[in-house]
Amino acid sequence: MLKITGCLCILAGCIGWGIGRVRDERNRIRHLREMIRIIKRIQNEISYGRHTLPEICLILSEYCKTSYGECFRTIYERTKQQDGTCLEKIWEEELARSLHRTRLQEEEKEILIGLPQNLGIQEEKYQAESIGQSMDLLLRKCRQAEDAIENKSRVIFSLSILTGVFLTILLL
Amino acid sequence: MRREEVLHMFPQSMRSKWEKVADQADRLQEIRLRVNVPTTVLIDNRELFVDAEGELSDRQPEDSANRAEELEAVLRHLCQYSVYAFADEIRQGFLTIQGGHRVGLAGQVILEEDNRIRNLKYIRYLNIRIAHEIRGVSDDVLPHLYGRNGQVLNTLLISPPGCGKTTMLRDIIRHLSNGTAYGRGVNVSVVDERSEIAGSYLGVAQNDVGIRTDVLDGCPKQEGMMMLIRAMAPQVLAVDELGSEGDIKALQMASCCGCKLVATIHGSSLEEVRTKKYMCNVIADGLFERYLVLTRRKGRCAVEGIYDGEGTRC
Repeated sequence: MLKITGCLCILAGCIGWGIGRVRDERNRIRHLREMIRIIKRIQNEISYGRHTLPEICLILSEYCKTSYGECFRTIYERTKQQDGTCLEKIWEEELARSLHRTRLQEEEKEILIGLPQNLGIQEEKYQAESIGQSMDLLLRKCRQAEDAIENKSRVIFSLSILTGVFLTILLL
Repeated sequence: MRREEVLHMFPQSMRSKWEKVADQADRLQEIRLRVNVPTTVLIDNRELFVDAEGELSDRQPEDSANRAEELEAVLRHLCQYSVYAFADEIRQGFLTIQGGHRVGLAGQVILEEDNRIRNLKYIRYLNIRIAHEIRGVSDDVLPHLYGRNGQVLNTLLISPPGCGKTTMLRDIIRHLSNGTAYGRGVNVSVVDERSEIAGSYLGVAQNDVGIRTDVLDGCPKQEGMMMLIRAMAPQVLAVDELGSEGDIKALQMASCCGCKLVATIHGSSLEEVRTKKYMCNVIADGLFERYLVLTRRKGRCAVEGIYDGEGTRC
């Protein structure tokens, strides 16, 4: 009886690990979609609203319902303090802190963190286009992730079950 | 003008250099940054050099020339790292920053095919002109701005650059809006094309322009005046720095709509303004009922004369 319970626990643990991995992957896609939405909004605010970046952060703080909202609010508050810290630095620090908790790949995090490096163009149209490059990169990443998610989920589930069975046999 | 406002104009890495200049914030008029030469400031009409440690002196310091990267850093900071948001202003050679301070720019011009200015690049000269909100500067002239029945008179402020016409206009607006001993408060609409009058930030006036004042920020005067007349039903319309034929036409239309006008124009005397192409007819038609001529006396801004619609000194 004890052995059966042990086997079931191992199997449940392995399947749980698999579910966790699949959830991480789905979360990654959700974050990528949110990042695309953010960059699109930044583009629009630059080209139509001609808002400055601190103003855009304030707008985004109300627009984003996720943890990004809080992050953009902090960036806005820090720029408002006018302690002279470069906006790029504030942006980098706060975004890095916010994205640290997510399951995004390093390369994907870098796209949003490094966004201010694309700034400095004097005409809003070209500035918006320049930011659009970051969005294209994220779109590609997101599409790849979406296309692969079903297969990936199946593989992860199968692997987790097989690992569970293998461990059970090994321990028996 | 607060000490912090001066420091806020510069990135953190440069702030220690500006401490001593910031101490003189109340008397500071101008900061000039030019590449490869030392910084100069104008304090109480006296030009002083700023050395690398931030010390002020009459003599040109050695080894304290500004580098191009420093100017770029200051410009980026002044633009809140969003140069694109100031593209139109940069094209015109200036930008207005928080607090209503104006930054003049010079560098290399990029032209369109039809010779219009497309943009400025290699901006290597900055002239930060400090705006001072001086409450009560118009107290002495106020009695002259009201008619017998307490109605506001159409008024034109004439002044050379740097004699305080925007400061005077702002204070007049505040008084007219809040009401004075000479007349009740009225609804004032301001077309603040260069954000110098109200110094708006996120659409909110940073300077005190009165309780009955509506501000249209960053809008060209001609379009702005018509928009405000249609939308806000002002009793008084205020604009700064009349210049083009369009401005004058819009002003005449506003007057026909029953609005009272308060405007400023560059000039050293009423006679000089009369010679301006688009102004001669306006003055001859008697559109303005009061002319306030400002001047600089012993380094201070002063009212040189107040004239009625016929040009007779009041």
